[in-house]
Amino acid sequence: MMRTLRDLWLFFQRDLRIAGTYRSPFVLEAIEALFGVAMFYYVARFVDSPELRQALPQGSTYFAYSLVGFVFFDYLNAALDSFDRSLLEARDTGTLEPLLVTQVSLPLILAGSAVYPFAATTLRIVVYLGWGAALFHFPLGSANWIGVIAVLFATLLAFSGLGILSAAYLLLFKRGNPAKWFLLGISSVVGGMLFPISILPDWLQFIARINPVTYALEAMRAVLLGGASLLVIGRPLLVLLVFAAILLPVSMAAFAWALRRTKTTGTLTHS
Amino acid sequence: MALQATRAAAKTACSRLSNCSRQVIKSSVSTPAIVIDSLEKWFPPAYSGWRAFLQPFAAPTSSALRGISLEVAEGEAVALLGANGAGKTTLLRVLATLLLPTRGRAQIAGHDTVSDPAAVRRQLGHHAGRDLGFYSRLTGRQNLRFFGRLNHLSDAIIEERTRALGERFQLGEALDRQTRSLSSGTIQRLSLLRALLHQPRVLLLDEPTRSLDAIAASEFRRFLKTEVLAGHGTSVLFASHSLPEIELLADRVAILQEGALIAFDTVAGLKAKAGASSLEQVFFRLTGRPVPPDVEARPA
Repeated sequence: MMRTLRDLWLFFQRDLRIAGTYRSPFVLEAIEALFGVAMFYYVARFVDSPELRQALPQGSTYFAYSLVGFVFFDYLNAALDSFDRSLLEARDTGTLEPLLVTQVSLPLILAGSAVYPFAATTLRIVVYLGWGAALFHFPLGSANWIGVIAVLFATLLAFSGLGILSAAYLLLFKRGNPAKWFLLGISSVVGGMLFPISILPDWLQFIARINPVTYALEAMRAVLLGGASLLVIGRPLLVLLVFAAILLPVSMAAFAWALRRTKTTGTLTHS
Repeated sequence: MALQATRAAAKTACSRLSNCSRQVIKSSVSTPAIVIDSLEKWFPPAYSGWRAFLQPFAAPTSSALRGISLEVAEGEAVALLGANGAGKTTLLRVLATLLLPTRGRAQIAGHDTVSDPAAVRRQLGHHAGRDLGFYSRLTGRQNLRFFGRLNHLSDAIIEERTRALGERFQLGEALDRQTRSLSSGTIQRLSLLRALLHQPRVLLLDEPTRSLDAIAASEFRRFLKTEVLAGHGTSVLFASHSLPEIELLADRVAILQEGALIAFDTVAGLKAKAGASSLEQVFFRLTGRPVPPDVEARPA
């Protein structure tokens, strides 16, 4: 266990060092976050009305509602993208082969390579919410921070399974990320990102109810905007953990099969 | 069966030849560092267009390795010699656990490459012979520290070995520069250093001196012979197109042709077998190619 954590830390250090050689993106991303938050603030001022506020869960403002949806989607994106992007980078830079002859397994290499993107995305979320709170009255004061961490962790587990499936697909077919395309595409309409799912027709609401993104966003808004306790978000949290319990073993088995297959066909390092 | 035949052939060759090296005699009696038994590797055809979707499920149709059997003893250096596409790199990649064999088996220090790849990798240093394989934004030293720690070496040991090997490979200031600014020869030396960093029992080298200048190549060969082979007793299996390099380093030479092992003996044994005066002539004769007049006329 300690060795695994130490190996994960090594990958984080590696990526942090590499990121540190490009200094300007940190500043540019902070500025980009400011523009993003400002855009949501003024869109919200334009569309906000007492009727809309009534339709929103937790009685929040549209600005707070949409900003949480937007930044949380960034997190989902990282969960779905990090594994296959790290594989793609290792393959294209020629580091995959030297990594594979070290004493660290490929699943650990992928997990390690995902640590920094998750940390960076978490930091980006903090910057977005920080700008929102500092300049546009985003209500951070009522948040249940333990709940926020619990929801992030459950979401990470639930969506990492899809990310690993995506990496397995990339091993076999060399290009494309169907999990990201499917889940983010569907969820932008039926995940409750920018509007509540209650305004959708019944059949789309049904799809939304079997989509884990809906539960993740519901729980995140409840703890961040409403300060809900873990007991209150128990149901969406449980749904996310069930998704994780099914998807993680399935995705690991699929990845192991894909790895074995590419070592058989000799296409492991092919692009 | 094939392995026993190879072993018997090696013994016969040794008893016939007076200059058979000590290591070869040792190889037939001590525990082998590498055992390859009836190894076969087949690849599927490369599909394009919509059929590329079927690529992962395509049946293997072309053979890259055909029933290869050989052993490498502890402290022995064996060279793989063959034309392009003969199967040298495929064989090294199977041993490095980067490919699964279709049939047969391979062992490194007693560990099977298929059923126990993690144990195999613990014993292994691998140099793929390419100019890639490092994080271009990190320095040579940072890269080596990262890979060294993935092989569970402490920072102190990595630092000490990087300093010692860096001096031997004349890496000097290059260690503290981002690898994107290094020449391909320097990257090659860095890659060789990485393969040696954890002092593996078995070293697999694919064209180790390909991009090195004459001085660096000579220095590396000397280091390999005196310190790695003689000093540490490491076993080395290397692929090379440089015949002088093979003559200098190899205790035995395995000649591959179209995936098959067509000869495996000492350089002297091969010369006797082919009735040749040079390794170049041996290669032409044993692979069934006509020997060019200038090669025929060249003195040994």
